[in-house]
Amino acid sequence: MTAAAGLLGLVVVLPVLRLGDVLRREGSGVVVATVGSAGLRTALAHTLALAAAVTLTAVPIGTTLALVLRRPDLPGRAFWRGAVLLPLVVPDFVLGYSWSQAYGVAGFTDSVLGVHWAGLLGAGGVGVVLAVNSAPLAYLVVTVGLASRAEPDLERAARASGAGAATTLVTVTLRLVLPAIAAASVLVFVLTLGSFAIPQILGTPGGFGTVTTRIYADLSLGGDPASFLRAVTAALLLVVVAAAVVTPSDLLLGPRLRATRPAIAQGLPQVPRSRAVRWAQVAGLALYLALTLLLPLAALALASITRALGVPPTPANWSLVHFREVLTPRTAEALARSVVLAVIAATVLLVLGGLVAGSVRHRAGRATATLVTLPLVLPGSTLAVALLITYGRWLAGTSALILLAYVAKLWAFAHRPIAGALDRLPPDELRASRVSGAGPLTAVRTVVLRPLAPALLAAWVVCFLTALHEVTMSSLLYGPGSETLAVVVLNSEELGRIGPTAALSVTLTLLVAVPALVLWAAVGRLRIRSGRG
Amino acid sequence: MPAVVLAVALAACGGQPAPGTSARAARTITLYTCLSDTSIQPVISAFEKSAPGSSVALFRAPTGQLNARVAADVRSGGLRADVVWGCDPLTVQAYVDQHLVGGWTPPGADAIPTAYRTPDYVGAHLLYLVAVHHTGVPAPRTWADLTGPAYTGKVAVPDPSLAASALGALGWFAAQPAYGVDYYRRLRSNGAVQVGTPDDVTTGVAQGVYAAGMTTANSAYAAKDAGSPVDVAWPEPGAVAVYGPVALATHSAHATTAKAFLSFAISEAGQRVLGAAGSYPTRPGVTGPTVPAGAPTVAPDWAAIGRQKAAILAGYQRVFGG
Repeated sequence: MTAAAGLLGLVVVLPVLRLGDVLRREGSGVVVATVGSAGLRTALAHTLALAAAVTLTAVPIGTTLALVLRRPDLPGRAFWRGAVLLPLVVPDFVLGYSWSQAYGVAGFTDSVLGVHWAGLLGAGGVGVVLAVNSAPLAYLVVTVGLASRAEPDLERAARASGAGAATTLVTVTLRLVLPAIAAASVLVFVLTLGSFAIPQILGTPGGFGTVTTRIYADLSLGGDPASFLRAVTAALLLVVVAAAVVTPSDLLLGPRLRATRPAIAQGLPQVPRSRAVRWAQVAGLALYLALTLLLPLAALALASITRALGVPPTPANWSLVHFREVLTPRTAEALARSVVLAVIAATVLLVLGGLVAGSVRHRAGRATATLVTLPLVLPGSTLAVALLITYGRWLAGTSALILLAYVAKLWAFAHRPIAGALDRLPPDELRASRVSGAGPLTAVRTVVLRPLAPALLAAWVVCFLTALHEVTMSSLLYGPGSETLAVVVLNSEELGRIGPTAALSVTLTLLVAVPALVLWAAVGRLRIRSGRG
Repeated sequence: MPAVVLAVALAACGGQPAPGTSARAARTITLYTCLSDTSIQPVISAFEKSAPGSSVALFRAPTGQLNARVAADVRSGGLRADVVWGCDPLTVQAYVDQHLVGGWTPPGADAIPTAYRTPDYVGAHLLYLVAVHHTGVPAPRTWADLTGPAYTGKVAVPDPSLAASALGALGWFAAQPAYGVDYYRRLRSNGAVQVGTPDDVTTGVAQGVYAAGMTTANSAYAAKDAGSPVDVAWPEPGAVAVYGPVALATHSAHATTAKAFLSFAISEAGQRVLGAAGSYPTRPGVTGPTVPAGAPTVAPDWAAIGRQKAAILAGYQRVFGG
């Protein structure tokens, strides 16, 4: 299993190495000049500061959400547990546009209340929106951690001995779940390093550039080899920085993240709290979701049905012209192809993620786990270029290359949640089944898959959504017959008018939100059944 | 396992013509372009109708993605396009300098004004940089008006590092004795703001954030026709014309069909289709989108801009930051 994971990992890491080779052969002079340039140093400083700020915001938000939502006595808990995951359903460029439509100049709050957020276009806006975008991921990782490591008995003992709720939280709960929080931090940090859409939409107009937007500008400005080498140098610099962060944390956290005992069902009685506290938490949740998600999405929906820019969004000016412009047979075809590719990618990723997750007990497996995280930080266009350079001779313009791009980018997304859940498995049951004569496949199927099912489903859904929303790689790698939704999105974005882009965003979000709701209900039922079983 | 089989099957899909149609395959060319989808699709359909048996496989992406794709192609076996249709001369000139495209222009090229062609490529469509202003605001008569008191603090300009049309305008102003890069300094001290693309300028003006701005004619007229409260002015000495060249790949495997497509693109028929689709044609006498009678236009010296690009951009970035 480790060997298989290693070989497959090589398929994915080879393009990154090829890029380094290109730099070595074609222009070490350009590399040195680029790395030393003030512009790139500023961009790198911005990127690192942004990643740190977003991690320090998103992880506490995710942790708070996980802590609030783990108590069964919270009113409407099932609904809230689905609602906090909503940002995952919304593509990040949609989130960027919707915030600018809601809180920007001449946006929704500006026309209704006369106030707008002047800092939206710049570092502040980018940081906040990225934090909102990453909080659900942090929430997922910390929830899994809480389920496997929290000790309700210890908490009750602490409360019985006289500690207040806050003291118990800090000294008992958070201490135990610290490794999961750290793992979430690493994931959010690496993700933010490579984020492009939100810095481009909200940061560039305000003069705040990151390494990814700088790469985009470098490529836009020059078709000459020097510009290309500058862009590749900047991208590989990001990978080096990410490796510097991920490798030590994997080495330190790896052993600590392995659970000491199997998961306990969440339905244990906990210390009761007053009604006031519970309803205050509900109010807090509602306010958070309304401000960060509901209002922006409503503003975007309003922009999609308003006839033209600059006219007041009153019912007299509503029309479906943007939807008609965007929902053509070509869009439907591209969407269908995107969905199929995303489904295949998510399924393949599940298998690959499981492979790597299962092999982390060996050092080679851990090395593979770290390596496959690196393509996550490569900006989409650079990873696409790397794949094209490495495999273009055979796969250029085919859907297989796009699929490979998804797998390369999203492997870490699949492997880390599964690794977290795998720890929760009681090893004795697996051993018992093997001793009783079950073959490895039967043992895995009957013992491992049942309790693992919700985590597997969550990993599948995250991979599916991210693959579906992927824009930069698919738009660079496509050929005739492998045109995906990304091309349609970029076409409408290029036309520049908010209306068609908003219409497309609304369609895409709805198209995913409805099945997501269905899946969520299914997961809820699975979890209840596995909790009882 | 089924997923792996599916993945392998997908490798066969897309990109490769079915075996046994080698004659047809010889008449399928690959086109790389950054021209908007709504403009290029009608041109392709019209070409395929005019030359039965030929077909065009399209790769359409913004200039930055196009550059990345070409760079990747070059390092993995050579450019896979037969025809490249760019959106600005600088990008295509960079490909010519790498010996990827060029060396041939269609026989009908002399119908296109000399300002819009070189021995290696011919301009097939035009972008005009004009001034867009809110309806309540007086129209700027000259470009210098934008530095005046009527527009203090309410002018938006596009970013030259994102849009080649903005770079062309910058290059043209830089070469004019009456303007120079100083023009942008005066704009800045008058409170002008740099936004992203020309479309961001149009959006800002339409929403009332800015009173006026520099944007492309297509973007401005589209907003006006949709009902936004904006108007378009073609200021003196002229709207800056940026042409999009179409060039033949030097190692095209389907040279005959590619040449046929190039000739079609600049022919009367092709330019008429382009004009009807909403892009400005380069061929004189072909109807296209709105050009007011007597509207002045100017053409930048692209060769000079190409030579001095770094210096011009450095001067600009000292004004607006970069």
